Amino acid sequence: MSEITLLAEVGRTTGSRSTRRLRREGKIPAVVYGHGTDPLSIAVDGPALRVALTGESGTNQLLEIDTGSNKFLVLARSFQRHPVRGTVQHIDFQITSRDELVTVEVPIIIIGDAVEVRHGDGTVDQQLFNVSIKARPGSIPTSLEIDISAMAIGDVLRVGDLTLPDGVVADSDPESAIAIAVGARTQVLEQESEEGAVSEPVVDGEAPQAAADGAGESSDS
Amino acid sequence: MLMPRKVKHRKQNRGRMSGMAKGGTEVSFGDFGIQALEPAWLTARQIEAARIAMTRHVKRGGKVWIRVFPDKPVTEKPAETRMGSGKGNPEHWVAVVKPGRVIFELAGVDEPLARAAMERAIQKLPMRARFVIRPGTHGTSEIQL
Repeated sequence: MSEITLLAEVGRTTGSRSTRRLRREGKIPAVVYGHGTDPLSIAVDGPALRVALTGESGTNQLLEIDTGSNKFLVLARSFQRHPVRGTVQHIDFQITSRDELVTVEVPIIIIGDAVEVRHGDGTVDQQLFNVSIKARPGSIPTSLEIDISAMAIGDVLRVGDLTLPDGVVADSDPESAIAIAVGARTQVLEQESEEGAVSEPVVDGEAPQAAADGAGESSDS
Repeated sequence: MLMPRKVKHRKQNRGRMSGMAKGGTEVSFGDFGIQALEPAWLTARQIEAARIAMTRHVKRGGKVWIRVFPDKPVTEKPAETRMGSGKGNPEHWVAVVKPGRVIFELAGVDEPLARAAMERAIQKLPMRARFVIRPGTHGTSEIQL
């Protein structure tokens, strides 16, 4: 995997007002840290970053941050998003080297058609969307595929069932479920909701009956 | 309907709903979600009505997650009662929802069906809300600017 070079500005003023001005100009504030260096506040161009991180490797793309005086080989580690707009507000870049093992999250892609599950009115419920792996930055897979076509209702595919490329080790529990084939789920939920009337909640420290009796009275008179 | 099994205090202060949601703002379990765009008190009945609207439209298959829980008691005084004599009786339960909060999630169905089902569920909610897709899936970019 070859790295993509991103130009970065150093020496941005920190604080909410100046950061907001920076975002208005189409830049994204970021920080570079790792390998014992002091954290460095930088700003990168938003559209250039989007192009870099929406390629084949996604957010695990190896980047080279060029600050003019220094160049850092980095991986994007953490994204802060706006709660409503979903826009990226801040990024953490961790310095890495080509020969060290890094832990990254790789998306799991389900392939195939679980015919037996579909005929039994069931669905394949994906439990795990990303799996944590250890690999060298140059050999991080873009995604890991798992075939569900042989699944029947009640079957579970686990992290241990993934076929990993050479030089890649799973960093998650091998017993963690990736996909579970379940029966018709919505019908079960429907039945649950139509069950009998719900009772009053118990007030902590009181007997259940006392709480039920007291529910109809105004206590603060 | 959803309600707590056990509570420490029967009545609560009303509180404020300023600002945006601090957590629960991303689609975490399913592929699609309903995100609140305004602050509101979401009653247990509204949550249930939205869930039923969604599951009935999906018909079969699919899995629904409810990401909010109505744990706040709301009191009301009986009709035609004189003011005073203390706070009213707990009548129903609400979830305090702030903008950005993902209320429902859905998985196991394709995008057009999920969108149609969730649009129906949004009609049952007391605030503006929108259909959202997990970033990086279904042709959406992980980096939104």
